[in-house]
Amino acid sequence: MDAGWNVMGTTRGGPSHHTATVPSGPSGRLAVDPAGPAPSNHAVVLNAEGVSKSFAGVTALRDVDFDLMSGEVHALMGENGAGKSTLMKILAGVHVDYDGVIRIEGASVRFSGVQDAERAGVAIIHQELNLVPELTAAENIFLGREPLILGTVVDHRRIVKAASALLRRLGIEIDAQRRVAELRIGEQQLVEIAKALSLDARILIMDEPTSALSTSECDTLFKVVRQLARAGVAIIYTSHRLDEVVALANRVTVLRDGRRVLTAPIDGLSSSAIISAMVGRDVAMSRRKSGSSAGAPVLSVRNLTLDTVSSRGWRRLLKGVSFDVGRGEILGVGGLLGSGRTEILESIFGVARGWRGGDIAIDGEPASINSAADACRLGVALVTEDRKALGLHIASTIRDNVALPSVGAASRFGIRGFARESALATDVVERLAVRCSGIDQIVATLSGGNQQKVAIGKWLATAPRVLLLDEPTRGIDVGAKQEIYQLIFGLAADGLAIVVVTSEMPELLLLSDRVLVMCEGRQTGVLSGAEATQEAIMRLAAPGMSGRGPGVAP
Amino acid sequence: MIVLRLFSRTKLYWGLAIICLIGALASPHTSSGRNIFLSFSNLTDVLRQVSITGLVATGMTLVILLGGIDLSVGSVMGFSTIICAMLLTQPGWTPASIMAVPAAAAVAGLGVGFLARFVFHGLARGRDVDAGRRNEIVLGPWRGVRVPAVLGLACGALAAVGTASQVSTKFGVLAVLLVTPCVALALGAINGALIVAGRLQPFIATLAMMVSALGLGRLTAGQDNAVIAVYTGTNATQAFEMLRSMVWGILPMPSVFFLAAILIFGAVLRFTTFGRYIYAIGGNPEAAKLSGIKVAQVQLAAYMISGLLAGLAGVLFVAQYRQGKPDAGSGLELDAIAAVVIGGTSLMGGRGGLAGTFVGVLIFGLLSDILQLQNIDSNVQLLMKGLIIVGTVLVQEQNLGQLLTRWRGQAPPPAPALTGSVEANRPPSATMKSTAREDIHEAS
Repeated sequence: MDAGWNVMGTTRGGPSHHTATVPSGPSGRLAVDPAGPAPSNHAVVLNAEGVSKSFAGVTALRDVDFDLMSGEVHALMGENGAGKSTLMKILAGVHVDYDGVIRIEGASVRFSGVQDAERAGVAIIHQELNLVPELTAAENIFLGREPLILGTVVDHRRIVKAASALLRRLGIEIDAQRRVAELRIGEQQLVEIAKALSLDARILIMDEPTSALSTSECDTLFKVVRQLARAGVAIIYTSHRLDEVVALANRVTVLRDGRRVLTAPIDGLSSSAIISAMVGRDVAMSRRKSGSSAGAPVLSVRNLTLDTVSSRGWRRLLKGVSFDVGRGEILGVGGLLGSGRTEILESIFGVARGWRGGDIAIDGEPASINSAADACRLGVALVTEDRKALGLHIASTIRDNVALPSVGAASRFGIRGFARESALATDVVERLAVRCSGIDQIVATLSGGNQQKVAIGKWLATAPRVLLLDEPTRGIDVGAKQEIYQLIFGLAADGLAIVVVTSEMPELLLLSDRVLVMCEGRQTGVLSGAEATQEAIMRLAAPGMSGRGPGVAP
Repeated sequence: MIVLRLFSRTKLYWGLAIICLIGALASPHTSSGRNIFLSFSNLTDVLRQVSITGLVATGMTLVILLGGIDLSVGSVMGFSTIICAMLLTQPGWTPASIMAVPAAAAVAGLGVGFLARFVFHGLARGRDVDAGRRNEIVLGPWRGVRVPAVLGLACGALAAVGTASQVSTKFGVLAVLLVTPCVALALGAINGALIVAGRLQPFIATLAMMVSALGLGRLTAGQDNAVIAVYTGTNATQAFEMLRSMVWGILPMPSVFFLAAILIFGAVLRFTTFGRYIYAIGGNPEAAKLSGIKVAQVQLAAYMISGLLAGLAGVLFVAQYRQGKPDAGSGLELDAIAAVVIGGTSLMGGRGGLAGTFVGVLIFGLLSDILQLQNIDSNVQLLMKGLIIVGTVLVQEQNLGQLLTRWRGQAPPPAPALTGSVEANRPPSATMKSTAREDIHEAS
């Protein structure tokens, strides 16, 4: 606690006394002074060796080495699921159960939690900010370690003074007395940074800090980050935006499938070298023979837009997306997290939050879909990403889950047709080869793959024309994935028009007849057949790289 | 193991059996040596006593299964007693009849209109439904709109004329029995509309209605704490006595309504799409919505039914206690919730049913009967009620074995495989607190 006060140069207390197992740096070494000289020696402050971590049998990190020097910005890159978050969370003490050794300034440490890591000078800023919206910036910075008057009353004047001084020294122009809820998202991010530094952080881990920021907010953030690096803070930085990484980082480490594949100074690297390091793996399965997309499109989407208003203000999540899907065709939607992929599906299904614009037609007929009920009526089905929360009633039987969208169709005069419902469930279980003891088995007791089959099956029972799949193989083991792929191919062969959203590149390439690539809500290209390669998709999907790809949408 | 599981599933009925056993054993005997507790007249009396709470608890069960709560039922019931008593005793355009006539007309008109549409829809679907085929039924302008609208308007007008014709004299039995629940249904519809359209939390919306309906009842009655006495044969029709008589000498009339409500809505929950949707929405509202269920309509309907049954309970209250008063149902909502909860229906929604509610209502009824037979202070009854609520919910929410191991300070054994039962991963639902209040049956 004392450490925080020293950073701010207030008059309380003497030198800091860390309680962590690490020797602390000299008090006040983090006096953030933009005019100060850059540290002359780039000493290694953090060093991880052979770090491995697995979650419930799935290996997230395998034998990863990582080192971080003071005063450097070290970018951590990788596809979704490559292990970036896991590594960062281990370093920050969020995950305490791992294999391997972490040293800070040469001393081996094993954090017992986030507080422990903070005491050792490691702070993490999560993608989702951890601020209390109803408190002021100053109160947030000193949350949980407020200075007290006579040990009882919170010393507000001192909080405000100290916070203002800290913000000023960081070159951040934010009134410390404003409520965080009133601050823009970029400003909130800066408050988080100030909070981390007030903890005497010498190692700052930033998880996708720019994902929600506007360009000018990003610039401010970069300025602060560079300034911190000059002051000797070591920064681990992740971002999906290549241009940003190239501009900001000194070194880059690329993870792929939980392994480290590259660590190198950024100067000698090209963007494409980073991309191929990220995606460089072979696609195991052969693609199917392309479906016949001849004839009129089943689903046709024109100039789809989606606007939302939240506390962050007005945002356009979809900026004019247009595509057609024919009978028996599988359209893959690629892009990074938050690029608007899921929003496309939700908009078509009529359940997106916000205002939707554009035209949707089913079988050539203009369709007005404003609710899931409308979508069902028109033969559009959505298998949601989070099947436990949104797709299935997990504590209920297979029969009830499969029949749910069809209860109305199987009834007459509002009286349920139990025999028809059971027939549907039996049919689905047989058709999709769901491994279960019977249709009365509780869904929660099924394996992930079989749960997903039930989630797809409940829609097949409604005989849809258009099937929208959001991350159809999330949380499913490899063998079951193949089954789901075969299932999707089979459905396409049966004539369904299918749209698949997936974060996994091999899956996208494997499943799709054509690939629609999204970047920041904009459709950056539609690739078909041989055009669709990992590099091409990545180039269109990465912000800062777009505009150079082929087929840029209007 | 099988025995244990069977026991675990039927523990509710075991509770009822134990209460009956205690009642029979502890019961005083008549001079001729007959067991008073087991006498037919005593048991039917218990049924009579629980009928009003039971009716309200039936509607409450639907709402709780849906994942909501209806705190307004007590006040709505009290309000209904005022409407009912005024219609019975005061001729002319009193505040009660001014509200009752339009409400009856609106309910009749809208009800018949939607019913007509519903029937046309069912007819259009045809005899053989192709299972699972999404068959989009679009009714034409005639069957879809015009005929239902005309029928609805006609029936609404008929109801308006019919009820208005009774205004000049006093209302008859059938008239109050039909009209009073219509007014209560309208209040329930307001609850539902606030929750569905206003996106209010059910607790808040119905809390507001609970307060407002009490005020509305007092305003309607004209004086604070007004008690409108209903003396059948003098200031009201003699026929009203029917509602407290015995049917064929077997069942008290109020319990006929209660049993009918349990059976009807039990069937609705079990056999209709509406019932299925209630469970689906209560189980996972988002998944239900994404499955194409019209969540708002189902919610609205459930709150309307809850209001309707509270209104019916109000009429029975007037018959039973020969009076209408605004606070007739104070605390009734908590009794109803307690009965639903000890009947095994989860306050989280999606799990439970009316059989449990029936047992829950009976357990409370038998308990107060036993204590009354023993001449035990009514405050002890309240204490016992609280203990029963805590006890039953504790037993229901966890497997007994788990509870025992925890008490012994051991780690609970690994959760048993979920075969055919969801007992293991039940979310712990809030434990009801007992509330001290005068029992409704002693109120008069």
